[in-house]
Amino acid sequence: MLKVKLRRAPRLDPAVPRAIPVTEGAALAPPLAAAAEAARFTGRAGQVLDLPMPEGRVLLIGAGTPRRPLDWEMAGGAAAAAAGKAGRLAIEARGLAPGDAAAQAAGACLRAWRFTHYQEKPEPGPAALDLILDDPDAVAPHWDRAAAAVRGCLLARDLTAEPGNRLTPKEFAARLKDLSEHGIAVDVLGRKRLEEEGLGGLLAVGRAAAQGPRLAVLRWPGSIEARPIAFIGKGICFDTGGISIKPAAGMEEMRSDMAGAAACAGAMLALALRRSPAPAVAVLALAENAVGADAYRPGDILRMGSGRTVEVVDTDAEGRLALADAMHYATRRLQPRAMLDLATLTGAIVTALGHHHAGLFGNDAALLAEAGVAGEMVGEPLWPMPIGERHREDLRSDIADLKQCATGRFLPDACHAAAFLREFAGDRPWAHLDIAGVARRAEAAALGPKGPSGFGVRLLDKLVSLYFEEPEHH
Amino acid sequence: MLDIAFVKPALPRHGALVLPVAEDGRLEGLAQAIDTASGGAIGRALAAASFKGRKGQNCTIWAPTLEGGAQGPSRIVAIGLGKPEELTPEAVEAAGGAILPLINAEREAVIAAEALAPPLAASLAMGLLLRSYRFDRYRTTEKEEDKPKLERVAVATDAAPAAKSAWAPMLAVAEGVFLARDLVSEPPNVLNPAEMAERCRSLERLGLQVEVLGPKEMKKLGFGALLGVSQGSANEPRMVVMQWLGASGNNGGKAKKPQKPVAFIGKGVTFDTGGISIKPAAGMEEMKFDMAGAGAVIGAMAALAGRKAKVDAVGLVGLVENMPSGTAQRPGDVVKTYSGQTVEVINTDAEGRLVLADVLSYCQERFQPRFMIDLATLTGAIIISLGHEHAGLFSNDDELAQRILAAGKAVAEPCWRMPMGEAYDKQIKSDIADMKNVGGRPGGSITAAQFLQRFVNTKQGPMPWAHLDIAGTAWASKDLPVVPKGATGFGVRLLDRLVAEHYEG
Repeated sequence: MLKVKLRRAPRLDPAVPRAIPVTEGAALAPPLAAAAEAARFTGRAGQVLDLPMPEGRVLLIGAGTPRRPLDWEMAGGAAAAAAGKAGRLAIEARGLAPGDAAAQAAGACLRAWRFTHYQEKPEPGPAALDLILDDPDAVAPHWDRAAAAVRGCLLARDLTAEPGNRLTPKEFAARLKDLSEHGIAVDVLGRKRLEEEGLGGLLAVGRAAAQGPRLAVLRWPGSIEARPIAFIGKGICFDTGGISIKPAAGMEEMRSDMAGAAACAGAMLALALRRSPAPAVAVLALAENAVGADAYRPGDILRMGSGRTVEVVDTDAEGRLALADAMHYATRRLQPRAMLDLATLTGAIVTALGHHHAGLFGNDAALLAEAGVAGEMVGEPLWPMPIGERHREDLRSDIADLKQCATGRFLPDACHAAAFLREFAGDRPWAHLDIAGVARRAEAAALGPKGPSGFGVRLLDKLVSLYFEEPEHH
Repeated sequence: MLDIAFVKPALPRHGALVLPVAEDGRLEGLAQAIDTASGGAIGRALAAASFKGRKGQNCTIWAPTLEGGAQGPSRIVAIGLGKPEELTPEAVEAAGGAILPLINAEREAVIAAEALAPPLAASLAMGLLLRSYRFDRYRTTEKEEDKPKLERVAVATDAAPAAKSAWAPMLAVAEGVFLARDLVSEPPNVLNPAEMAERCRSLERLGLQVEVLGPKEMKKLGFGALLGVSQGSANEPRMVVMQWLGASGNNGGKAKKPQKPVAFIGKGVTFDTGGISIKPAAGMEEMKFDMAGAGAVIGAMAALAGRKAKVDAVGLVGLVENMPSGTAQRPGDVVKTYSGQTVEVINTDAEGRLVLADVLSYCQERFQPRFMIDLATLTGAIIISLGHEHAGLFSNDDELAQRILAAGKAVAEPCWRMPMGEAYDKQIKSDIADMKNVGGRPGGSITAAQFLQRFVNTKQGPMPWAHLDIAGTAWASKDLPVVPKGATGFGVRLLDRLVAEHYEG
């Protein structure tokens, strides 16, 4: 993450470009005004004008007509993108409300994130940010709060970017244990305890891999008397598809099939960093879906943690098996007041919604609406999707309590997966976010480069801050 | 079509007697009369079968012995209506549908509907009628005993006149639904574009004005996209314009000033091979229903005319066959649409949107409608998105979308709103033309809707528009409450209900 300094004045260093956000139609100082007019820069969102000046580069950033902090985040993101190879960037935030000023820094940090861990000589780029302010002390608390969510998001991206040979289930669990330094209690259940719990779904999915599956349970105590909100994450560290193996083309992307778990972990970090009063837990199903001599097979029948039996149809529909057990564990052991699961679950949701909305399913209209509001506010939009009677009927099995997915052509598999998961939500308010289409960006956007997006972290953090920091929800 | 009548209650002496019973409801009217006539045997039989009137429950009692050796019905069918407080028209309709298979082997049936308010009695009959649809035109060797026998159903009610007046418009709508189902069921060698246009023309008998445009006329108009799709087929394309001037003209009295009409546009690909981008063989026979959007529009226009709806409405259908051949359109071709915009054809199997593009802009320019709704079996992606319960609804207007959602819910043709937006629109940018006709797998139904939206011209002000992707709902792979397996006619009742709720009078 960028090292952010809140300053009253820019450094007098020509190597530090100074970004000036310009709202649409706003007047500029004379030398800039002439250049802007010549270049037809009007301040429209998305416009950038890079002006070499004697005192250093000035970046005019089109901020459009900002209405929400999110708009200022996007301006900050555009500034970071425009900085290019400069190692330090200054963003002009004088005259802005403290929250909007902080939002610019947040946007810049999100956009400037890079994953260069495995590159000997990474491309140069911004590593530090000066946020230029009228009153740094007034902005500091806003920035601390925004930075917590940003750090959570970037943790999720870091985890998601890691390859399958590095971020194994064991390593993922170890990284989660590091979160205890922030006051998060971390408990990792290995194979033996999973067997004691009877989590047959997760055990089957992780069975063929050299490293066994794990269930990581993260607890943030909060400070109010309330049952926790629970985040359930799919953490398939690599997904070959198993016996129902995937085609080779594009399989490398399956290293990010743990983006849901990463997002939940990131959200926990965000809550802890900003000392959220809300108690929260995360239950993360970590496993590698490998091929192997002892792999689970299509046709196998699994006994899940809840006692239900499931007929396996397609070993590549492993996420729902792992999640179902994690959801069951959460409802039984942690008594959450609401539960949200995040998962890169289906290709069908990509066909349905593309890359611009995550699919939102669930059993509780209020919780779904709240998740939608939170997503809009942070630029992680959701779209409600149905779980119909037919979707559940399609999962009837001849031999077990239910099938894990349906068979045939043109299957609404995202809906089927949600119908499956609903069976394990019990009577808890539950929302399911299928993030398969949004967990990675195919190209750079305002708030992130190409690659893992960290989708969900900021949404969950916002959801908690809006609706779960009072003892009574709703 | 079944003959349905509303009559004063009288016990039948043959056929079936149907007793719709609400949960924990007592036997009343004819039900009570037959129970008494049987010396209480009916009530005891129902109790023995644990029949409680729950939704979905039914119980058949064969040839009850009546006191004094009186002649009675050959079967009594009790059907559960569920909880009295949940007796919505939709629920009653579904119960009516559930009756049909239980009495289909009788020639006649009497339904004891005295406990239902007259409109609900009519809804019960509507469900029964809709479920009774059968397309057997091409069965020549079916054995007599395998055929359904039911010909006449008498709905017994103490308020027969009120039930009849509720029934008249419903019957017209059912006829529209059956018309749509017939069109969708017809094989593609019979129902080509010219034949489909002829069937539209036959609706003039209902008072519809019908114009049929052939390739010459469409070429003159500049329908480059529609004609590009049809150019590979030996069967010429047609566009049919149907007008119902129920508010301003056709309604008996003298003509009034025409209103801005409501407009329905349908995709009518009478068979879709995919063209040069040919489809896999498995399941291709289903592509005869790729004209179901047009079928629904035609059915809806027939319904509006049939019940003399007080609305001005236009229905336009683009009818083509998509074939591969030496003259077929190729991937890479660029076509010019009626709107003047150009399209790079990437995939000749994304043909429906090309047909709709020309018809949408033509409709808007010629009629300046209040809104436009198009119906189309447009994408496989909508089935992967939603399955077979909901049609995908895309719209640029929240009010229209809400009204469509409500209308669909009321008539068992549910829709689900899907997103649109600039980010999706970018996916159909072309390097050579104004747009390309596919935007890739991600959000495949959404990019199809974005394509269509580019032919809704909002330069002269807002033009409310909605697109219903009915690829998943046009055909039922199994029996549904008011739809037998096969062509559903999805859309006819929805459009009719939408008009009835908001655009009449």
